Amino acid sequence: MSKSKFLSDTLAVTINEFRVLRRNRTAILLSLVVIPFFFTAALGVGSGGAGTSYSVTAKIPIAFIDDDQTVASGRVYAILARSGDFHQLIQGYREDNAIATLGTGKIYAVIVIPKGFQDRLLNDQVGHITVYVDDSVADLGSAIQGNLLKNLQDFNPRLEVQPVRVGVSSPIEIVARGVKFSGFDVGLTVILGLVIIFATFYEIAGGISRESEEGTYARLAVSPIGLGAIMAGKTFYDLGLNAVRALIVCALAVYGYGARPNTDLLTIVGLSLLMALLTMGFGFIISALGLGVRAVIIVEFFLVLFLFAFSGFIIDRELLTGFSKTISYSLPWAYGIEVIRRAVLIGQPLWTMANQLMFVVVSTVVFYGIAYFVLKISRERLVI
Amino acid sequence: MKELVRDSFAVTVKELKELSRDPVSLALTIMFPILLISIFVVISQAFGASSYNIPVVVADLDGSSVSKVLLDKLTTSPLIRVNQFVQTDEQAVQAVQSGMATGAVIIPKGFGQALLSSGHTYVILQTDNSKLTAPLLVNAALSSSIQAMLDEATQTGYTGALSGFKAAPVDVIIRPISGRPPSGDPFLPGMLGMITILGAFDDIVNAITRERERGTFPRLVLTPINIFSVYMGKMSSTVVINAVRTTLMLIIFALSGLVIRGNIIFIYLTTSLIAVFTLSLGLVISSRVRSSSTLTILEIALTFPLFQLSGAVSSAETLAPEGRALAYSLPWTYGNDAIRRIIYLGVGFNAIAVDILVLLLSSLVLLPIATLLAKRTM
Repeated sequence: MSKSKFLSDTLAVTINEFRVLRRNRTAILLSLVVIPFFFTAALGVGSGGAGTSYSVTAKIPIAFIDDDQTVASGRVYAILARSGDFHQLIQGYREDNAIATLGTGKIYAVIVIPKGFQDRLLNDQVGHITVYVDDSVADLGSAIQGNLLKNLQDFNPRLEVQPVRVGVSSPIEIVARGVKFSGFDVGLTVILGLVIIFATFYEIAGGISRESEEGTYARLAVSPIGLGAIMAGKTFYDLGLNAVRALIVCALAVYGYGARPNTDLLTIVGLSLLMALLTMGFGFIISALGLGVRAVIIVEFFLVLFLFAFSGFIIDRELLTGFSKTISYSLPWAYGIEVIRRAVLIGQPLWTMANQLMFVVVSTVVFYGIAYFVLKISRERLVI
Repeated sequence: MKELVRDSFAVTVKELKELSRDPVSLALTIMFPILLISIFVVISQAFGASSYNIPVVVADLDGSSVSKVLLDKLTTSPLIRVNQFVQTDEQAVQAVQSGMATGAVIIPKGFGQALLSSGHTYVILQTDNSKLTAPLLVNAALSSSIQAMLDEATQTGYTGALSGFKAAPVDVIIRPISGRPPSGDPFLPGMLGMITILGAFDDIVNAITRERERGTFPRLVLTPINIFSVYMGKMSSTVVINAVRTTLMLIIFALSGLVIRGNIIFIYLTTSLIAVFTLSLGLVISSRVRSSSTLTILEIALTFPLFQLSGAVSSAETLAPEGRALAYSLPWTYGNDAIRRIIYLGVGFNAIAVDILVLLLSSLVLLPIATLLAKRTM
């Protein structure tokens, strides 16, 4: 096949794909609006934008029981009330009543300063504070504990004005280095990866399965257009969609939620397209198996969940052990996500991650090769 | 009324019969919760492990006997694995930047001398902050190693300047009212809620859109059975299937050691209402979205935001203000809240009455809308 025929066939398939998309309003809505917007907005409203900070415990009603009734316990209350982490400290409860109220939704925790708190501190002993917590609220206990320790780590019962230095109570200070960024920026890398993988797989594997069910794929397969041109045409079409999707996610994250990526837009879009190509390769393999649309969607759901657990989306690969770790290190998506994260969050140049990028590229080529081989066999069967 | 009940029952039996004849859907109904929960068990185990092997490099620029003690503590930390000792600060930073290590501990020159003479010094910790949790664990490993070193030093009288040192003036003791460990099973009750939502969405795909695609839905509607009975029948079959899924999940909970403190009947009641609400919403959506694959993909697209916003993973109370407002406007949040409180706190009906009411009212509002829309688009 001549190069120009391959290119013109590829272009024809690409144009056809866009034409089909243009005629399907639901597909446009899902592909370019629902998926990128839902995912990014859910992250933004759930955990706050990059420029905003909020304390998990700030607006949660918490009873404060002072059994010590000393200057020290009074200062603890004052520090907490002023801290910004505890805006709804409620005094006046009796300890047993407060604990009995937990679980009703009126208060979610009870901070108890026990009798003898000041005496212990003045005798250079550690003062204990007990917190009863409604643990039906996920992770509330650790959030309250963290904020109490943060605000009281330099507490001195003898001083009315508490020291302002934070985190240096130990004689050996830990000087933390490394690029800092907001939780939203971290979430952005997760969302970008999820949106790309989720939508791409559906568009390629689901698209071909749907065409197979409708009978249009068989017609396309027996047309003079080569298999390579069909795959290339669908690839270019989906790359175009993914570029738009990556831009939508980035625009929403940057302008809507104040994200500050440490790399340029071109790199982000380029890496997104690399992930899309990898997923497309896998999508072609799945579509070559001749599964129905429903089966493809089920495979997609489990693929995304699988990647969620093993590809470093929410768990660092270093934390996995045994077989989980082996799975994680054999998944090419994990390397792609690592590259996206390092580039977007810490601005690491791409050339320093050549090994990871090479792994992704080689996996993509292998996926495309397998898919081409299997699709070719099924096409020959169709022709025969 | 008698006719409504009889017709609904007939549709329920038909739905269950169809499911039993479709091995793929039947297997999915069973496998779906098992696979989903398996993934989250992996996640829970990763976060709850007592030891890790996070790679760390160390640059001991001091080389004193004091820094050796710190090195000894670092190498025995259960959280990290010191996989290389480097000679310079730059090499340590390079190891982190290249991804070879997640953290680098740099002990500066004069570390031991400063500690012994002034009682105050520092170490540098360079971490790869592009990781989510590993940098925090490296920091925790370094802090605990420093603490262990100081404890040893003060016990042996090794450093006079450090005697009487106290790490923190105040200790906070957390007592969860359920009595379970603070870190135990944070995801499981939320997963029951999510599986109920996803399962019900899948049921609606099976129940309406696929029937439309096969052309059997118009035939069903043209029978003397009232459309309301059709919907009630489909809903009843979902409630039965949901009960099977809930039972399966409760068995998994029991096997994983999760203690259910509340009445199991309330769990079934709550999951049934979550399923009915989801189904009502699905009926409304399916009156517009006709393709089963589009509806399924929409369902999956909704899943991930719902993990964040419906209280499945994080409770609504701990979300940012906008997220909290949005979460409280979703009836699923009330369902997940009720499940969590039944399982963890063992609360009775009075405590979950509001949650139940919200789910019930939401379904009652949506169901007539779905019926109306279905009639219009028939």
